[in-house]
Amino acid sequence: MKITITLRGSLTKRFGPWKKKEFEVPDNCTCTEALKSVGIDPDAIPNFGMVVINGMKSKREDRLNPGDELKAWSKITGG
Amino acid sequence: MSEVYGYQNCVLRLDLTNRKITTEPLNMDWARKYIGCKGLSTKYLYEELEPGIDPLGPDNKLYFTTGPVTGTSVPCSGKLSVTGKSPATGTMCDCSMGGHAAVKIKQAGYDMIVLEGQLDKPGYVLIEDDKVEIIDADDLWGKGSHETEAILAEKYGYDHAIISIGPAGENLCVMSCINSDYYRQAGRGGMGAVMGSKKVKALAIKGTKGVKVPDAKKMVNRVLEFLKEDCLQEDNTYVYDTGTTAFAEGCGDGGIAPYKNFSDTTDPNLDKYNGDVLLEYRVGKRGCGSCGLGCGNFIKWGDAIVEGPEWETMSVAGGNAGACDPEQIIRYNQVADDMGLDTISAGDTLVWAMEMTEKGIHDFGIRFGESDKEVEYLKLMARGEGVGKDLALGVKKCSEKYGGEEFAMHCKGLEFPQYEPRGSWGMALAYAVSSRGACHMTSYMANDEVFEESIPAYSAEGKGEVCYGMAEWNNAKFSMCICDFWATCSYEIMTELLELTTGQKYTLEEFGEVGRRVTHLARAFNNREGFTRKDDSALPERLFTEKLKTGPAAGQVIPREDFESMLDQYYDTLGWTRDGVVPEEILKTL
Repeated sequence: MKITITLRGSLTKRFGPWKKKEFEVPDNCTCTEALKSVGIDPDAIPNFGMVVINGMKSKREDRLNPGDELKAWSKITGG
Repeated sequence: MSEVYGYQNCVLRLDLTNRKITTEPLNMDWARKYIGCKGLSTKYLYEELEPGIDPLGPDNKLYFTTGPVTGTSVPCSGKLSVTGKSPATGTMCDCSMGGHAAVKIKQAGYDMIVLEGQLDKPGYVLIEDDKVEIIDADDLWGKGSHETEAILAEKYGYDHAIISIGPAGENLCVMSCINSDYYRQAGRGGMGAVMGSKKVKALAIKGTKGVKVPDAKKMVNRVLEFLKEDCLQEDNTYVYDTGTTAFAEGCGDGGIAPYKNFSDTTDPNLDKYNGDVLLEYRVGKRGCGSCGLGCGNFIKWGDAIVEGPEWETMSVAGGNAGACDPEQIIRYNQVADDMGLDTISAGDTLVWAMEMTEKGIHDFGIRFGESDKEVEYLKLMARGEGVGKDLALGVKKCSEKYGGEEFAMHCKGLEFPQYEPRGSWGMALAYAVSSRGACHMTSYMANDEVFEESIPAYSAEGKGEVCYGMAEWNNAKFSMCICDFWATCSYEIMTELLELTTGQKYTLEEFGEVGRRVTHLARAFNNREGFTRKDDSALPERLFTEKLKTGPAAGQVIPREDFESMLDQYYDTLGWTRDGVVPEEILKTL
């Protein structure tokens, strides 16, 4: 299925220069599975933060639907 | 004691009442235990102020404090601590100001500048190495901070750092700030009013001296390694690209961005003024003295220009005001900085006034969405005119007068930073126990609860220990004068930097003890002023009775018993009484 992956925080530097891109990922996959399929392993990134599906904070094990936007954040500090 | 490098071993003290200018050695015993910046200024404040003094009277003191690494090659070391007793809260208040003033003060030969007493008429202080003068400021009084900086820079040279107050500080507004470099502030707690009460309009500082370290070549080489291996890796350098504008989207996604005076957390118009929109209008970049990261963004929109806006300002002039006009956000920021007003406190007061008006409790003449009026009201608040006269008192005193206390978002009289605690319960604890009132800088619980998700956001379990751990780390780090944005700066790095700079060794445990000591001492100051658990517990009822309606944290409210449990845990972790008092056996060690 096709989804959009958006990178935020330091992930844009780590995996960019792209910030938002459409990808083909396995049907009904989890957020973690989708990210791993495009070379982003949340478990291997010490500063990995939250995942967001269609603007709502979600869990890494939540499953995606076609057309979803999956946003991946690093931790961000400050204010 | 063997020679200690890094410090200038000199405090510049100005007795303004008698116009007496003296220098004295820095208390090096205190410096060993508290290092510099936040820690050392807290110690001086605790030892030199009598309890119960009027924050706007002659007995309050204003400390501008550097640290041993200030003015060296250590990156992100350009922060200046500005400390005094707060007229907004009555607690101690420490602010961390960016820009170049810290470096200039150190280069002039001083670890600390202390303002005490009060001038009989407005003046400013000129510091050029050993030459220190108090000069008449009648021609500057009444002017905005920006015009003041321009005049003094033109007169003395652009190699001088200028610290100034605007009309808000002159008029003793409890939410006034102290400015430097046009757009950097000692923002919270009314430090501008403390300076205004002393009738000091500005300090202009130039220095030509160096900072002595044991082995400069060795230090520079090691600093270069730290830059390459740690400071300049992507976990810190993202701030170069976005500043804190990234927090708009992050907080929105995480369910902690306040909307319409903290009544909810979903702003349907966030994409009209978020970081991507604002950064399209970026015209320049800047970093502080000795910075490695350069978080400052100059945004120009129409005829409004500002270095910013930071997330807090985006929120109080954006979603929290029910508004979404990016040009007005820039304008709000520019006017607040020039008037010398804390954008957070002024903004939270204005959005409270909006809710009061819309609910028909009291008509302050401003409603949600009226961001153009926010800008006009800032000027009224700074000058204490019209409706601004009451609003300048802040939400605590205003709500005591007019009602609406249950949604007056403050702790101890300091208005909330822009993180909704019902979306991150640890932030309620952080606001409650911070030494200067509601503050996110000591324990930024949202990082672990929301952005990192290493601990659950809607639970009280274990929060006391986590909150303390952050406080210890930040209190030690801010006593080093290291900027918050070097987020990965570890105890290992900081102790090595300290040794390279001062020649003094600190074990990791000793360094952590500095943070613990500062946490205890700041609390002890507040205990001495009468603050106990009852004041920590007095958070606005909205947090405990109104569920969030939308967003990732929909349905969340903080049960009162869970909040009190978090307080118990925090006090127990520190060895304080269950009333939040530092016991005598700990006081003796400080």
